[in-house]
Amino acid sequence: MPNARRKTEALDGQHFEVVVIGSGMAGLASALRLAMFGKSVLLLEKHYVVGGLNSFFARGGRKFDVGLHAVTNFPPNDSAKASPLIRLCRQLRIPFEELALSPQSFSRIAFPDVDLKFNNEFAFFISEVERLFPREQDRFQKLLRTMEAFDAYSPEVAGDVSARAILGEHLQEPLLIEILLCPTCYYGSAVENDIDFASFVMLFDAIFRQGLARPLDGIRRFLDPILKRYEELGGKRRMNLGVKRIVTKNDKVERLELDNEESIFADHVISTCGVVETEQMLSSASQAEDADDVGRISILESIAVFKEQPADLGWEETIVFYNDDDVFRYERPDELTDPRSGVICIPNNYRYPYGEQMPEGQLRVTCLANYEKWGALDENTYRSQKEICRKAMLDVALGYLPNGKSMAKELEERTELLDIFSPRTIKKFTSHLDGALYGSPRKSRDGSTQFSNLYLAGSDQGYVGIVGAMLGGVAVANNRILRGD
Amino acid sequence: MDKEKVKQIVLDIIAEIAPDEDLTDVKPEVRLRDQLDLDSMDFLDIVMELRKQHGIEVPEAEYRQLESLDSSAEYLFPKFEAKAVA
Repeated sequence: MPNARRKTEALDGQHFEVVVIGSGMAGLASALRLAMFGKSVLLLEKHYVVGGLNSFFARGGRKFDVGLHAVTNFPPNDSAKASPLIRLCRQLRIPFEELALSPQSFSRIAFPDVDLKFNNEFAFFISEVERLFPREQDRFQKLLRTMEAFDAYSPEVAGDVSARAILGEHLQEPLLIEILLCPTCYYGSAVENDIDFASFVMLFDAIFRQGLARPLDGIRRFLDPILKRYEELGGKRRMNLGVKRIVTKNDKVERLELDNEESIFADHVISTCGVVETEQMLSSASQAEDADDVGRISILESIAVFKEQPADLGWEETIVFYNDDDVFRYERPDELTDPRSGVICIPNNYRYPYGEQMPEGQLRVTCLANYEKWGALDENTYRSQKEICRKAMLDVALGYLPNGKSMAKELEERTELLDIFSPRTIKKFTSHLDGALYGSPRKSRDGSTQFSNLYLAGSDQGYVGIVGAMLGGVAVANNRILRGD
Repeated sequence: MDKEKVKQIVLDIIAEIAPDEDLTDVKPEVRLRDQLDLDSMDFLDIVMELRKQHGIEVPEAEYRQLESLDSSAEYLFPKFEAKAVA
């Protein structure tokens, strides 16, 4: 839009109608929406790449995604238009086909005596639940109806209703409750040993009712068209530049002081840094930070790259959520990591079109980790502990893949490259305090703050997954800025 | 400018924001929501495009005037006329 460009130039690079802090999925989506309707927008990013938690990095000549196990919400054929992903594509005017998503093969939830399979056919998932828990059939159907009647995306929805409590009211077999909580917590809960019911419904639908998918080229397939459109529309972006202070006057944000001492003026500010992180930047901030508001969930993730295709080793599943006990523990471990439960992702096992395939095999394993413990290590211990914990994680995880245990030694020998990222890495990419994967347990669903022109978007809105985060960003742009214009 | 032209403008905007919708048989008297898969986010886009492309302002309280093609034409036509005169 020439209009936006003109405005930006007239304002001399110092004054924007909207400044968006953080170029994660929510920040990108809101910036694009606003640029689309002629707003002069500046997107500020502390890191040198866009994407936040869903970013990418290079190691040994290969490119890896940081957070992308799966794009959820892959629309099933019969309800395509109702899918949040299709809604998102419309809002961003990016054709769905451009995202080049390929569906998963199948995935599993593995507990000691139960192995539940699912794919992108919701009816198959239901049949698996009914096969494994025949006595829960009617109660499970009733739970599905409760979820269908619940508008999880509504900005008015309460963000602090316990999913565990609601599942307990509907179901009688505790194991089924744990099995439903395991994948939903791993893909988006900021609280320990539970998830708020709205996020649960969003993730349940995103994972089971819709489905899992991935572009062959990874997350860049999502990021590139958004950035391209944003820049075509005249949107501005500055990288490697964080915000030091949000200066407020009365009930409004007046300007932003940047890390390079520059000041930027903004009519509206959208912060995607998190609720506590944003409060700490406020010039009016009281120094007493409420520790309860800092998220405790973080992860260690290892990636092994090897020549073979995983399917040739007998591993055809895409994702495995596993837990070694009938009770699912989703909490900050006492030790550096807790290898007893985790998530395996084999990105080769999405069904890429025309028989295309990633050139090498990849096995990703994720377990919960303790940020404080990782943060306290000196550099040498940090490096050695990453390797020790990686081995411990892999050792357990392989037990959940067909013949995995017996292939441990062979896999180690065949591995061409290893990478590990820790809670420290999560902090670097997301700027979340304590490397909190999904931000703070305190959420602001509608994005409002105590300041009339400062809004929150991103993790701390409580919209989950890549699609959720982006829809959250879109909602803030729409409801807070465009609608009232 | 006549009311048929206004309807076409609204249809063109819908085609732009929802390219996957089939617009060949939209009934002007029936609510758009009842025949097309449009939600409140899409209606916001119709309003935003009216402003961007034609300089027409629709206050939030009056969004519901756009519920069908007929009601849109009734409501928007005077706005287009006023614009033409100005």
